[in-house]
Amino acid sequence: MFLAWPGCADETIRFNRDIRPIFSDRCFACHGPDQANRKSALRLDLEQAAKSDLGKGRAGIVPGDPERSEVYKRIVSDKPALRMPPAYAGHAPLSERDGSLIREWIRQGARYEAHWAFLAPESPRRPATRLSGWIRNPIDAFVLARLEAAGLPPSPEADRTTLLRRVSFDLTGLPPAPDEVAAFLGDSAPDAYDKTVDRLLASLRYAERMAIRWLEAARYADTNGYQSDGVRDMWRWRDWVIDAFRTNMPFDRFTVEQIAGDLLPDATTSQIVATGFHRNHRTSAEGGIVDEEFRVEYVADRAETTSTVWLGLTLGCARCHDHKYDPFTQKEFYQLFAFFNNLPEKGFVYNFGNEEPYIKAPLPEQERKLADYDARVAGLRHELESRQPELERAQRAWERKIASGKPLDWNIGEGLVFHDPLDGPFQLNKARQFDGKDFVLGGAEVGRFNYRDPFTFAAWIKPESANGAILSRAEDYFEGQGHALYLIEGKLRLHVIFRWTDLGMRVETEEALPLGEWQHVAATYDGSMKAAGVRLYVNGKPRKLKVLFDQCIWPIDSKEPFRIGAGGGLRFTGAIDDVRVYNRALAPAEAAVLALLDPVREIAARPAAQRSAVQADKLRMCFLDRGAPKDIRLLRARLALAEAQRKLYHDQIPTVMVMAERDEPRETFLLKRGAYDAQGDKVEPGVPAVLPPLAADWPRNRLGLARWLVDRRNPLTARVAVNRFWQMLFGTGLVKTVEDFGSQGEWPVHADLLDWLAVEFMESGWDVRHILKTIVTSATYRQASAVSPALLEKDPENRLLGRGPRLRLSPEMIRDQALAVSGLLVEQTGGPSVKPYQPEGLWQELHGGKGYTPDSGEGLYRRSLYTYWKRTVAPPAMVNFDSPSREVCVVRESRTNTPLQALNLMNDVTYVEAARKLAERMMREGGASPGERMGWAYRAVLARPAQAREIEVLESAWRRFHEFYRSNRREAERYLAQGESRRDRKLDPRELAAYTGVASLLLNLDEAITKE
Amino acid sequence: MTRRHFFGRGATGIGMAALASLLKQDAEAAALPHHKPSAKRVIYLFQSGGPSQMELFDYKPRLVEFQGKDLPDSVRQGQRLTQMSATQSSFPIVPSKYAFARHGQSGAWVSELLPHTAALADELCFIKSMHTEAINHDPAVTFFQTGSQIAGRPSMGSWVVYGLGAETEDLPGFVVMISPGGGGGGQPLYDRLWGSGFLPTRYQGVKFRSVGDPVLYLNDPPGFPQANRRVYLDALGELNRMKHAASGDSEVETRIAQYEMAFRMQSSVPELTDLSKEPQHVLDLYGPDATKPGSYAYNCLLARRLAERGVRFIQLYHRDWDHHGGLTKGLPQRCRETDQASAALIRDLKQRGLLDETLVVWGGEFGRTVYCQGRLTADDYGRDHHPRCFTMWMAGGGIQPGLSIGETDDYGYNITADPVHVHDLQATLLHCLGIDHTRLTFKFQGRHFRLTDVHGRVVKPVLRHA
Repeated sequence: MFLAWPGCADETIRFNRDIRPIFSDRCFACHGPDQANRKSALRLDLEQAAKSDLGKGRAGIVPGDPERSEVYKRIVSDKPALRMPPAYAGHAPLSERDGSLIREWIRQGARYEAHWAFLAPESPRRPATRLSGWIRNPIDAFVLARLEAAGLPPSPEADRTTLLRRVSFDLTGLPPAPDEVAAFLGDSAPDAYDKTVDRLLASLRYAERMAIRWLEAARYADTNGYQSDGVRDMWRWRDWVIDAFRTNMPFDRFTVEQIAGDLLPDATTSQIVATGFHRNHRTSAEGGIVDEEFRVEYVADRAETTSTVWLGLTLGCARCHDHKYDPFTQKEFYQLFAFFNNLPEKGFVYNFGNEEPYIKAPLPEQERKLADYDARVAGLRHELESRQPELERAQRAWERKIASGKPLDWNIGEGLVFHDPLDGPFQLNKARQFDGKDFVLGGAEVGRFNYRDPFTFAAWIKPESANGAILSRAEDYFEGQGHALYLIEGKLRLHVIFRWTDLGMRVETEEALPLGEWQHVAATYDGSMKAAGVRLYVNGKPRKLKVLFDQCIWPIDSKEPFRIGAGGGLRFTGAIDDVRVYNRALAPAEAAVLALLDPVREIAARPAAQRSAVQADKLRMCFLDRGAPKDIRLLRARLALAEAQRKLYHDQIPTVMVMAERDEPRETFLLKRGAYDAQGDKVEPGVPAVLPPLAADWPRNRLGLARWLVDRRNPLTARVAVNRFWQMLFGTGLVKTVEDFGSQGEWPVHADLLDWLAVEFMESGWDVRHILKTIVTSATYRQASAVSPALLEKDPENRLLGRGPRLRLSPEMIRDQALAVSGLLVEQTGGPSVKPYQPEGLWQELHGGKGYTPDSGEGLYRRSLYTYWKRTVAPPAMVNFDSPSREVCVVRESRTNTPLQALNLMNDVTYVEAARKLAERMMREGGASPGERMGWAYRAVLARPAQAREIEVLESAWRRFHEFYRSNRREAERYLAQGESRRDRKLDPRELAAYTGVASLLLNLDEAITKE
Repeated sequence: MTRRHFFGRGATGIGMAALASLLKQDAEAAALPHHKPSAKRVIYLFQSGGPSQMELFDYKPRLVEFQGKDLPDSVRQGQRLTQMSATQSSFPIVPSKYAFARHGQSGAWVSELLPHTAALADELCFIKSMHTEAINHDPAVTFFQTGSQIAGRPSMGSWVVYGLGAETEDLPGFVVMISPGGGGGGQPLYDRLWGSGFLPTRYQGVKFRSVGDPVLYLNDPPGFPQANRRVYLDALGELNRMKHAASGDSEVETRIAQYEMAFRMQSSVPELTDLSKEPQHVLDLYGPDATKPGSYAYNCLLARRLAERGVRFIQLYHRDWDHHGGLTKGLPQRCRETDQASAALIRDLKQRGLLDETLVVWGGEFGRTVYCQGRLTADDYGRDHHPRCFTMWMAGGGIQPGLSIGETDDYGYNITADPVHVHDLQATLLHCLGIDHTRLTFKFQGRHFRLTDVHGRVVKPVLRHA
């Protein structure tokens, strides 16, 4: 197609530019890299193979002689059976143009070139140009040379307000405020524009603007994305990204920390938080999924995302077979996969928050506060410590007193929520007998624990049968839902179950308990959602446990009553006594005390040296509970409170999912057809052979991979990154296929410019601000965007860059602008995501449940970057304007133009409210007459003065609205009642409604939602 | 440019240059239709959650003999199970609690739960040998609607409007409607099921809703009447035309057209949902819920109205067919909610002469197991997901009526004749619309993607015999 550029003097056919795209698209699938799919000996992706003898003196390509080249002969053959690509497989013939290109290329000698993107970029020589005065920096030389070759002049520079509005949106995502416009227009210094660019690049807004595209590439969201689409908390990672742009972190470090921050020596919390990048992929908590199938999916997502974001390669295509177009084998995909395969993770994840591995990531302020809590706890502990001698003395006195007093028994009362002695005061010989049929009801609320609530079940039992239920709050069949303590084949067993087959926890003692004997049993669970948090005690001693099932990650709310001697379809045979339920997990020493029958008075009466450790513990606990001096008891209570408060505070500190490595490395295998359960050969971590190798001294883990990505020899990373920056500013990358730099990708129109930028980027120390500044201060960027019919005819897509970009604003810019110009915008950086307005019922109709509750106040008016992102029902006002859904990595920007967008901008409460607030400002700040106010609004929204005709059109609409509202005050008030913000009651509602209509119109102008 | 599509129509007014670039992108769809279509549009009645074929269509009389026995390994053949039943201690076979009978000339087996569908048996073509690859809802529904278990591909409806455009200028070409099912909602759905994936977003399905605005943001704000909107749009249009003259950018013209189309939608959608002119006998046909917004019956009636107005792809979802337990309570409820209206839609289309040009498809994302999941009691049982076989039906444009194809074994566990894969069904659906599924492609990330990936074959036996 580039031959078609008028004035293009270069008549030499180039393999990369002209031929490879044809071969790749039409021939490589059968005559290319994919070994399994190769249909004949002929390969066209390798020069030697293409030109070698195919037998009988034939060759695919005979340089200089198209008519003897099998390739050309077959392309132009009129016999359907011979013609290539084959008609029998449904392929259309090559176009005449493509055919003649191939013919001409063979005639010229059929010279192959290595694929451009796999050769490291070298800084190209700047081309000579005729018009030298136009050039501001090297970018312009490349652009101008190309334009001159095409016989096109560059466009004049955009006027200053247009330029300021353009660069403000491009670098900060927000329009310039009127005073910023005035200051810029008033600054006639030659470096006024450069200073403005510096100001914008130094702003926090810049960091927020840069973050959003990165979030899309990183498939960042607030929910898991599969099926029930449970919640997660990754905003600490999002804030890390903002901070990285704020501090202009070099892109190489930005890369290394996100890929492998956890593997850096002495990694900081911030570096570990950075690795959240690769935990942003979707995860599934759908009941019944095969764990490994999904775990593999996550690893593949990481490999594919890395490949797209840093390498601009579609390596995911090699997941099931060798790549069809590029020289990547399936094995090489799994070598990349191997780097990300060593995370201690599960496929079936937690649905109600972050899945392991995650870390606590306190904000600086939270760190300080936590330190305060710690200090308080430590202080109280210290104080208690210092009172020990005094306490000892008091205990001895107390012991003497009770030893001679009236009979006293005591047991642990803290956290006791249910106690049934069954037959009056505790005496084993008076225990309740169970006959294997009957049971005792404990009460409707007893033992109503959820899956994260710690608890203790305890009782004395004398079993006569090896199977039976001791205590339960569960459905009365064995695989039912709920909490239960059983004897199963003599073993003590605890169930905490939501759904038998996949959600719950089952733990039992390794050994059976003897029958016919009294013994004390206790089960404790610490609420950790793990079987490791369970202890089973017999006679106060912890038993060795066998974990039968360990997936207690789903809420349980059993409606069943608490039963003694029954549950799970089982009944108890024998005796049960002294049933206790605590709302905490008793400590091992407490469990031992619980099982100790010796009354306190008897223990106290013994000489201290003759007391067993448990006896001493019991005595001590009883003393602290009952006999300690009041001020010490108070001190202990204060300590307990301080500890509880610290825990409460600690619990709400945000966490973030991060990368980590397993202690024992997981082996990686090639997966045949990409199927999780079809393992092929074992593979080691590695990089594609066609790219430079890993250096010998880099570790073969993510850190080594990260170093390789940003190594000077890597031909792709810098090119791919600067190409995305270019796309961000011009709407289209220098390589249009920003996600694909392979054979099927576009050959860059400005290959030299791309390479110059890539080298400049690396040589500047991967300085993102430097590259952006270089681009936006170029004459190329500063051109006006207006287009003449002639230019439009010659270069409809502006690939030659003979004019400035004119593009619809991105979804978040459209909303943020409305908030900004109306004065509603709340600028506050970071923090949990917020929920702005959203039409009612959107979540319910797809998911049921409570649905979406919008925030009130500030949360409604934050920048769109902070909008809560539910992947399966993404925010409609973003998706309507082409936001990716954040389900998978997306780096290509797209812009459509639909009636749904019109409805959105005219009728969404967000924009109706913004129009009202803008109208209030028009009336308050815009002068006295309607005309003045319209002019003010033009400057506020479009940064430029209005033309007379524009004012006329607006005024005439305003008069019509005003006419209507003058006689319909109630309608005016209804119109003004949209949105949560207060209406300015000092303004006449009829007038304000008319201005609101006009303000809405302004926000809907093509120019308002366009960067010119 | 002969192709017209709701969201693309603005393109007819734009300059040749932009048109050229548009055509470049869409070139692969330019030669459509590939052959003479037998249907102009599709109404897809998706029953989300996986309706049990055992209780509805796939009659297995011998299950009574096997009742309560474990599923033999020779039948299960190591087939993977969901993790919901993989750890189950036994797999007792449970026969349908509901009676079956043969219906119509064709003698199709239909259960007593679907009397209205049964009465129409001679209009329908049953495929009892559907099978899929996914075993869980999210991947399975995504697979059915986009041809891939992984998110990111365009949905079936998007492919169709991308390929064929729409026949209407006042309504979207691809409309989605959802009814919750009265059992508490059931399995969630996801935007991606009607998303456009890597196709331009103008091809994505537009959800018609029963809560709030029928189309998002359709209604003008309170206190801003249509007369004001007209004034507003006239002024906006004039200012935008001035901008177009100054900038030369054809996108401005497109935008002007899109605002006008939005305005037209503001009247065409309310007209669509205004049922006041539907005669009582038609409302009666759809049953008592016909006028209840958000019900399946209402959506079926709307589907007919959308079909009449030239909407290309009409996608309904009815939720809550996922009966792991409590099947005897839930399944009859779902049937009561859907049976009459599904049948009414066929009858209504037929009496208007629309059935011949409208392809109607009924089915879920997979079937259910012959063995009981969870607790088997005297009057209740449940069934787990079963991807190996299930039943769907098709009717209307291009489909042979009064036919059943495909067979399963005595356990209703494995297919024994004429398997039909999800990609085959997709290929067949496209075929009816005049599309060769191997040639409707879109280049993305260097690859020519299609709905059926690299699979799929048209199921010739179900096509209307000449």
